[in-house]
Amino acid sequence: MAIGKLAPIANRVTTAVAGALPSATVKNRKINRAISWIGKKISSPQNRLILGVTALMSQPFIDLHNRKVDEDTRKVSAARTVAKIIAGTTTGVLIRYGCIKAIDYCSMLPEQISKSTRFPKLRSLFTPSSNITAFLKDLSHYKKALGTIVSLAVMVVTNFLIDAPLTKYLTNKFIDKNNLNKNIPNPQSNTPILAHKEKTVKEASNA
Amino acid sequence: MPNSMFKNILNKIATAYGKNPGKMLVHTGVIGWVLSSAAQVCAIVLNDKIPKEQKMFLIPQEIADAGVNIVSFYLITQSFKSVALKLVNSGKLLPKAVKDFLVYKGVGDKLGKAGFDVYKSGALTPSGIKRLDSFKDGADVIGTTIGSIISCNLVTPLIRNEIAAHRQKKSIARMNTPYDVASNVKTPSKNFVKRPSIVDFQTQAYSKSSLSI
Repeated sequence: MAIGKLAPIANRVTTAVAGALPSATVKNRKINRAISWIGKKISSPQNRLILGVTALMSQPFIDLHNRKVDEDTRKVSAARTVAKIIAGTTTGVLIRYGCIKAIDYCSMLPEQISKSTRFPKLRSLFTPSSNITAFLKDLSHYKKALGTIVSLAVMVVTNFLIDAPLTKYLTNKFIDKNNLNKNIPNPQSNTPILAHKEKTVKEASNA
Repeated sequence: MPNSMFKNILNKIATAYGKNPGKMLVHTGVIGWVLSSAAQVCAIVLNDKIPKEQKMFLIPQEIADAGVNIVSFYLITQSFKSVALKLVNSGKLLPKAVKDFLVYKGVGDKLGKAGFDVYKSGALTPSGIKRLDSFKDGADVIGTTIGSIISCNLVTPLIRNEIAAHRQKKSIARMNTPYDVASNVKTPSKNFVKRPSIVDFQTQAYSKSSLSI
């Protein structure tokens, strides 16, 4: 089923859920301020960081408790997951943050630019048209959105040049550190693979 | 790129995401996962330290990760975001100052009812709209973040592991089926036919001789 066909169903479900939830009024001023602060300050770098930290707390354990595969696969899978999360979160957060800062630097409103402003053309390079800025009033969400989109373009390159090699390096480090390879056969030789294969099939069929 | 085209792109981004940070997080998140998975598949393929059997699990795991992430991101994250926005728009979840204003305006009994829209029917002042906007942005980001934690870090790993384990099992089973190495053609399995042994011949001979006597 296409995602588009699921949209009306999802809409009905969310309406029912929202209808079933009790009404609530946020009375505490600090909580109100915190919610507004989250809306204003939390953007894609912070979101990526939150997802990365929570991923580290959940995904390796899910991989280690995957009873559908043998123990070696479980360990390699968990090691690779941890490496992938560390590499992906580090580069993801830094690139998103850097791109948003760069877009922020180059999205000055015309009224903010004075004679003393250096590189005036560069400072308004990413500023949208005046009718849009009048409609938005506040450009902070726009800057974060454009910064995130630019960071995605950057990550097309960095995913392959930094993320993937870093994940490979960290995975191998974790495998070496845990001495995982002592029971795992050499991929170049045939005999242990066959023996290992039988073991894997047996374990998988038992599962 | 001509300057007007560049400005048009900027204007479209500003219109689409300038007032909706949660929507931007959903869209960029999906693209980010796809790109990341493509790179990770390359990393697994090129990693000589990972044995073939583990690669048979890790590659489908990574591909399933992107596929399941997109579906669960749209279904779960979008649903959380949608519920959060519906709660604020219908007046079920409001900051106290805005609720007090709405009660003062005489619409307090309609708050939270289906079809009620605080922005349309609440007659809010510009400062009230601004306050509600920032509250709504916060609820939007909180909903999107909780939804993405559940979808990306709990639902996706469970489903992708199931898919990858199934694929690994199939691949290993395929590796175990006998192949004729020379022609690379699958050898047809021969039915076992029991052939007569020397004992069978002797028994038959004795039985014949006993009959003749």
